[in-house]
Amino acid sequence: MSAAANSSRQQTEAAEAFAGWLQGLSGGAAIDAASSGTAQDWLAAERQQAAERVRAQAVPTGKSESWRYTGLRSLIDQGFVQVDEPLTALTPDDIEEVLVPGLDAHRAVLVNGRYSEALSDLGTLPRGVRVGSLQRMIESDPDALQGVLTRIAGEGSHLFASLNTAAMQDGLVLLLERGALLERPIEVIHLSVGMEEPRVAQPRHLISLGDGAQAQVIERYVSLGDALYCTNSVLELSLGRDALLKHARVQQESPNAFHITGLYLSQDANSHYAGVNIGLGGTWARTDLVTRFSGEHAECDLQGLYLAGDKQLIDYHMDVRHGLPNCTSRERFKGILYGKGRAVFDGLVYVARDAQKTDAAMSNRNLILSANAEVDTKPQLEIYADDVKCSHGTTVGQIEPEMLFYLRSRGISASLARRMLCLGFAGEIIEALGPEALRDYVTEQVGERLERAPLD
Amino acid sequence: MLSVKGLKANVGDKEILRGLDLEVAPGEVHAIMGPNGSGKSTFAHVLSGREGYEVTAGSAMLDGTDLFELDPEERARLGLFLAFQYPVELPGVNNMYFLKAALNAIRKSRGEDEFDAVSFMRLMKEKLKVLHLDDSLLKRPVNFGFSGGEKKRNEIFQMAMLEPKLAILDETDSGLDIDALRIVADGVNALRSPERSMIVVTHYQRLLDYIEPDYVHVLAKGQIIRSGGKELALELEEKGYGWIVDGEAA
Repeated sequence: MSAAANSSRQQTEAAEAFAGWLQGLSGGAAIDAASSGTAQDWLAAERQQAAERVRAQAVPTGKSESWRYTGLRSLIDQGFVQVDEPLTALTPDDIEEVLVPGLDAHRAVLVNGRYSEALSDLGTLPRGVRVGSLQRMIESDPDALQGVLTRIAGEGSHLFASLNTAAMQDGLVLLLERGALLERPIEVIHLSVGMEEPRVAQPRHLISLGDGAQAQVIERYVSLGDALYCTNSVLELSLGRDALLKHARVQQESPNAFHITGLYLSQDANSHYAGVNIGLGGTWARTDLVTRFSGEHAECDLQGLYLAGDKQLIDYHMDVRHGLPNCTSRERFKGILYGKGRAVFDGLVYVARDAQKTDAAMSNRNLILSANAEVDTKPQLEIYADDVKCSHGTTVGQIEPEMLFYLRSRGISASLARRMLCLGFAGEIIEALGPEALRDYVTEQVGERLERAPLD
Repeated sequence: MLSVKGLKANVGDKEILRGLDLEVAPGEVHAIMGPNGSGKSTFAHVLSGREGYEVTAGSAMLDGTDLFELDPEERARLGLFLAFQYPVELPGVNNMYFLKAALNAIRKSRGEDEFDAVSFMRLMKEKLKVLHLDDSLLKRPVNFGFSGGEKKRNEIFQMAMLEPKLAILDETDSGLDIDALRIVADGVNALRSPERSMIVVTHYQRLLDYIEPDYVHVLAKGQIIRSGGKELALELEEKGYGWIVDGEAA
């Protein structure tokens, strides 16, 4: 058999294996959902359609642009299975080790994708703010979710989001009524605990801010131990007119974790979203940040910092679509790569013909500490309007020997000097995280990883 | 304190230092003058351990320790300090954090306790005043966005904080106006002591009006070709370098 035919056969086999895997994850749950209850008919229909989309979808290969640098093989090879039993054995003492010292916040905790009443510590929530389990709300008040849940991600969402829609069980819901004000931040801890077999959790989260509502949300993805598992999560965010959301996301999962997040953001007029994404953990982490504007003069600010070392791949994809005039978007991502770490930055800003006076700027800067590390960076602007202000820039560089020497000439060791320069590079993103306790904590997490990083 | 013997050094294939000898005793201030390209800055860099230079012969001992056996940070911990001609900007690295890291690294190597926050602050404020520097400088990233004068004053401020045994000032006067020069010189003079030695590298005599040297050396083509007292600097100011350099060649 020729090499080409052989490779083609392998590709077909891989595609079949993947299709089978997806159906295993999505099929059962969707059918269960379709046959249960009448109050959620609209949801059952959405799930059924999502399951069909998964079955019909072409399997992504290395040729598919959005998966080009992030192979799916290693994900499929783990044989992840969905476990539907909630894990209830944990007590508040067990999660002590993953808390941020001194962080003052309402706390919601999810374990393996399921909302935990026992571990959450919400305190007193202000009027007009609801926080709780998605599953509970589907059972008790599905009307509150209709027209929002699954609609923000929409049908055009990618494969893993469809899979999530078909298979979702639980997740977090945060609803702010019109004008509601959440002054204390709310911290959402997504805790993963290893099980006997490699399992996948597919939580679905919904955050919706009514007109003029304001909140600060801190999401943290953490693990107990070095567990091997996969999380395929979807987060839908809806911001009403004049709403303001500050959103910090810190992914610091087990070195063996597979992490997939699809974040779908819908912004109405004059709303402001400020997101800061910190990617430190996992062996394979893919995040898609997707923004759509439904009103003018909205602002979307996406910042990020990723650190990848040996056996790590961290991938951020961004898709910001300006379909209306007068909106502003910013993407500012920085990466530090060491050892054999790999990262992908793929940012698309699309400006439609009618989206005049769009103001969009995108930058991606990378610091590479070793010869074996790699980053694939692809900022893209697609502009069809003629009166816009758009820019993008990318850099990939190393630590300047001049800077290193300056620090060493003052008695500072080479390794500390390197760490200081890396933290200096990362500092402006960490600054944007908000509460000082969180900034200090992330600085420490980044510093610890750099301290352990091999010098080459 | 410092004993340099027969020092030769290359940059790439080019020999820059061609057998340099210098003895500096405790408390002495030596000026090294010379035309452009004579090797003045190379000498300062080679002593402090900057990469890109190859020492091919000779030695440099600081209080009996061979500097060329040591990394730059180890030389600094031994008491060597280089005030840079072009101080490096370090975006994102907080000045105060930087100074604390440097001071504690040096203290630790001497077996001294690390400074606590209060005594560190007190020491900093005191030294800042001498150099007419504002407190706000501490919160800024190291040298980042500093004016030329601020950068040079920041170098001397660091020197005041780290209290070296031997300070090398590399063209510290370059780019300074007369007021800034006076402040920098006052800062340096305040640090003169019987235990501390200095090597002042400069192209012009001007700086030496303010920092009075005990000895003046003329460096040309990688060697010290003339040494004398401070009056030598005045002679150079008057006649230029030509008469010595050409005389040597003849």
